[in-house]
Amino acid sequence: MAEKEGFRAAAFAAAGIIGLQSVYNLIADNGFLLRPPGIQSEEDFLSRCTSCGKCIEACPYVAIQAATWQAGIAAGTPVIDAASQACQLCHDFPCVAACPTGALRDVSKREDVRMGTAVIDEELCIAISKSIRCEVCYRSCPLIGEAITCEYRVPEAGNRGFAIFAPVVDAEKCTGCGICVQRCYVRQPTTAIRIEEAQRNQ
Amino acid sequence: MELTRRNFVKSTAVAMATAAAAGTAVSFAGCSPSSGGTNTGGGGGDSSMVADQTYTAVCRYCGVGCGVLVGVKDGVIISVEGDPENQSNLGALCIKGQSLAQLLYADDRLTVPLIRDDKSTKGTDGGLREATWEEALDLVAEKLKATWQTDKTRMAFWASGQLPITDGYVLAKFWKAGLLSNNIDPNARLCMASAVVAFMNVFSTDEPANCYADIDEADVFITWGANMYEAHPVLYQRLVGRKNTDTNVKHYDLGTIKTRTSEGAKTLIFNPGTDIAIANCICNYLVANQLYDEAFVSDHLKFQTGMTDLGNAFEDGYDGTDVIKNSGTTAESSLEEFASLVAPYTFEYTAELSGVAAADLEELAKLFADKSLKIMSFWTMGVNQHNRGTWMNHCIYNAHLLAGKYAQPGCGAFSLTGQPTACGTAREVGTFSHRLPADLVVANEAHRRYTEAVWDLPEGYLDEIQANGPHTVKIFRDMSSGKYDFFWSTCNNWAVSMPNLTRFLGKGDKKGIIDTFVVVNEVYPTLSCQYADVVLPAAMWVEREGQFGNAERRTSVFEKAVDPPGEAKWDMWIILQVARRVLDGAKIGEEDAFSKLFGFIWEGDDFKADARETCKAVWEEYRIFSNPSMKASVEALNTESKLKMEAKQLAPYDEYLTNHGLLWPVREVDGKWLGTSWRFNAGGPQEAGYDAVGVETYGEAGKAGDLSFYKTAGMKPAVCFRPYEPPALSPDDEYPFWFVTGRLLEQWHTGSNTTRIPDLNNTLPEALLYINDADASALGIASGDNVRVTSQYGTFEIKATTDKRVEPPAGRVFAPFFSTDNLINLAVEDIYCPLSKEPDYKKTPVKIEKA
Ligand code: SF4
Ligand code: SF4
Ligand code: SF4
Ligand code: SF4
Repeated sequence: MAEKEGFRAAAFAAAGIIGLQSVYNLIADNGFLLRPPGIQSEEDFLSRCTSCGKCIEACPYVAIQAATWQAGIAAGTPVIDAASQACQLCHDFPCVAACPTGALRDVSKREDVRMGTAVIDEELCIAISKSIRCEVCYRSCPLIGEAITCEYRVPEAGNRGFAIFAPVVDAEKCTGCGICVQRCYVRQPTTAIRIEEAQRNQ
Repeated sequence: MELTRRNFVKSTAVAMATAAAAGTAVSFAGCSPSSGGTNTGGGGGDSSMVADQTYTAVCRYCGVGCGVLVGVKDGVIISVEGDPENQSNLGALCIKGQSLAQLLYADDRLTVPLIRDDKSTKGTDGGLREATWEEALDLVAEKLKATWQTDKTRMAFWASGQLPITDGYVLAKFWKAGLLSNNIDPNARLCMASAVVAFMNVFSTDEPANCYADIDEADVFITWGANMYEAHPVLYQRLVGRKNTDTNVKHYDLGTIKTRTSEGAKTLIFNPGTDIAIANCICNYLVANQLYDEAFVSDHLKFQTGMTDLGNAFEDGYDGTDVIKNSGTTAESSLEEFASLVAPYTFEYTAELSGVAAADLEELAKLFADKSLKIMSFWTMGVNQHNRGTWMNHCIYNAHLLAGKYAQPGCGAFSLTGQPTACGTAREVGTFSHRLPADLVVANEAHRRYTEAVWDLPEGYLDEIQANGPHTVKIFRDMSSGKYDFFWSTCNNWAVSMPNLTRFLGKGDKKGIIDTFVVVNEVYPTLSCQYADVVLPAAMWVEREGQFGNAERRTSVFEKAVDPPGEAKWDMWIILQVARRVLDGAKIGEEDAFSKLFGFIWEGDDFKADARETCKAVWEEYRIFSNPSMKASVEALNTESKLKMEAKQLAPYDEYLTNHGLLWPVREVDGKWLGTSWRFNAGGPQEAGYDAVGVETYGEAGKAGDLSFYKTAGMKPAVCFRPYEPPALSPDDEYPFWFVTGRLLEQWHTGSNTTRIPDLNNTLPEALLYINDADASALGIASGDNVRVTSQYGTFEIKATTDKRVEPPAGRVFAPFFSTDNLINLAVEDIYCPLSKEPDYKKTPVKIEKA
């Protein structure tokens, strides 16, 4: 228990810094904000969320923070920076249970979750662009083999007899949890896998 | 020492969150500017950083032994890339190799010697104070000398498959010839001993006959208890590359749990310990139906029977039993007798025993019967860390030899290693308690004479060490029982890697480790340092010149690229500084012992020359073992005793640099040094990688497959029947699960290096216990819950997961051993293969409770 509290404290400290410095990680170029599980659509979410902060308090991993003023109209609403602390898809979804307005709703198992869809930047990804045995995203995915698979590609000519182990996301099954983003080996200039708007609505 | 590893990992996690949030993941790999540069994507990297100098090296981690090129600017490593000229990897790397540039720069490097004044602080974070080298070396030497002079049985060195070859050679010479002691054993006892004993039993020479390039030509792959996807990443990449080029290529994965290696393979999950029955089943099919390779059998093989009912190593005194004394004994036998012994292993019987469907067993057996198929078997810890590990190695050879599928391009049986120089150092230079350099053993008189000749020792000098010394588990068991006074280790983290840590860390009733004077050479503070009386800061990897020998017999040199931090020194310097103090006043004949042994490289209080020249000088002496013509007295003994020492011939030092590594035996042909891809195979010229010179010198031409097993007595390796005997312990009502331990790609072994590379550690920061869905729900455990795992040996806590990265079937659970936060070895049994003394880390009965 003490350990868990220690973790929370450390994570809160980190989260504080995120709030101050890391708007970049929270708002993608296209303005996409990663919301907690149970979001139905951004429009639906904004119409219900009162920025009460109950999901933020409920999350044992301190994955959720309140968006800062840079988020404009969405300031104060719960967002997740997957690269620093992704949603861990708790089996009992404390965030959803805590939401008093139904902004977060209708998830009972992790397969139901549609926070977004993971998208791989094939140039940044060292597995694909440099044939490095990485595929961390694949192995760290809680739905390994379903939401993300490992495709064995034949390297282009001149690139030895070593297969490329390419991670491939299945947009139909990906929950958008962002665990793969948190674990991605590449950190600069951004992670090689990122969460974008869900490509499939439930 | 304020920052313990546990704290370090935690503070790193926070630092990472912070740095990642700030969008600057570069600043926390330590204080050096080198930490950037590496962890960028495709075209990434800081283009303003251009290396002043590039050095050739080898990855510091796994047994694949990938070659790397190390870029240095202003004395700091700024890049590490795959070396396209090293034939073991042709430039390929996994993320561990990819992150090597950050390896040296975590902020808790050990840079000054540390001494513990109060033994009661052992096992805690504190208690170590800084000291000078002079004080630390004097203290270590004084303790070692006192023990050596009073009772030599109460001291031991624990060596390593990560210690560079020259350092291992110097260490073996100091311990065996200087101290006249066999109380030295490597950590390779924990991973490769079963493979070694089987190689020696069957072929009378250690290490595989095949090479990595065979992957490119094989028709069928069989992995036996080997999770190559995770543990041999780049080799597995080559294997999948082969499968990609030809859809007819098949892969069968045999194991007790489903892993990522099973993906894309036909997966045969067997009951723990029954792999021997499966191999026997294949042999039975071959001999009962006369589908073995007749020419191969009649030209090359003999048959033997061996001891059965070996029992198990539960008791400390187990080594002394008659069973063990006689277990190596074999009797001549025949194909007919072998056939009758394997006859019970029908498809039906084996299916029932193993849980593998009879039709699948038949499919497997038919592959061996098909003369047109080239089969490559690979195996690692599932086979070696096995209470019948030596036997299981034998059984794989039995199947391959009967089928005539060995030592040919694309076709053979390949024992993989886990450490970068398990072969090159632990096995080849003689750091085992029963070995001398170059496959020689202490118990053999001719071998002792030969070693004396190389080392210029008086004849008979080594007779004092003709009895084998204690193996690793015996050392630890005896140490925990208070039977040791001095223990020294390097390139090792035994406080995490040994089985039965509850006992060996003094957490049970046996406190011996607290009283023993423990010395640890280390680069980062590990858990082992918490039990050390003295910690000696070592130069690591490319902070010094060194050499590794990988799984395919490739010896490679890694050049010194940067200086070590602070006062850290390379292992060879540390070993010799202690040696000269301990041997002070000792004589060999009329001569000063230390100068006799090491005068060729050492004078006064330091090396005579720089590291490159020192390594070369050591190499040139070591090379005499496998190049007897370099010294007349040695050559005479080689001929007289028919030792065939050129069987593992090594090249002059510079050849390894020029060639980016070479596969031994290396032959001089027309002034050029050429490696050997296929030992014992004269099917082509030396230039093409065949063992033309070896077979011509020692073997017979014109035999089946152009092979000649010239190191083996009568040139005939033995097929020896080995029965299925059950695991030492099996689950019962109290401990209903099998606990299987192992490795995962991102972290290497005890994590003492990989957890300190933030970007790498972030990819797998936590060890998890993988459990089957049905078992988890029956126990009321949700994925992510903390659980307590308990065996009759000990207990630990860990977070459980039902994620499918590793998929144990019902009744089995798996966890990796890299995490100090979850010391899984607290609960692992210390029962070992009676022949190899290698512990079985794969079959501990445990119970699992919600924590
Ligand atoms: S599911 Fe769990 S980890 Fe994810 S946001 Fe909700 S509470 Fe946090
Ligand atoms: S976001 Fe990543 S980790 Fe989560 S389900 Fe999708 S692919 Fe898997
Ligand atoms: S973890 Fe990142 S770099 Fe590695 S394979 Fe996945 S996307 Fe590519
Ligand atoms: S860890 Fe093994 S596979 Fe990975 S780069 Fe190093 S030697 Fe190669």
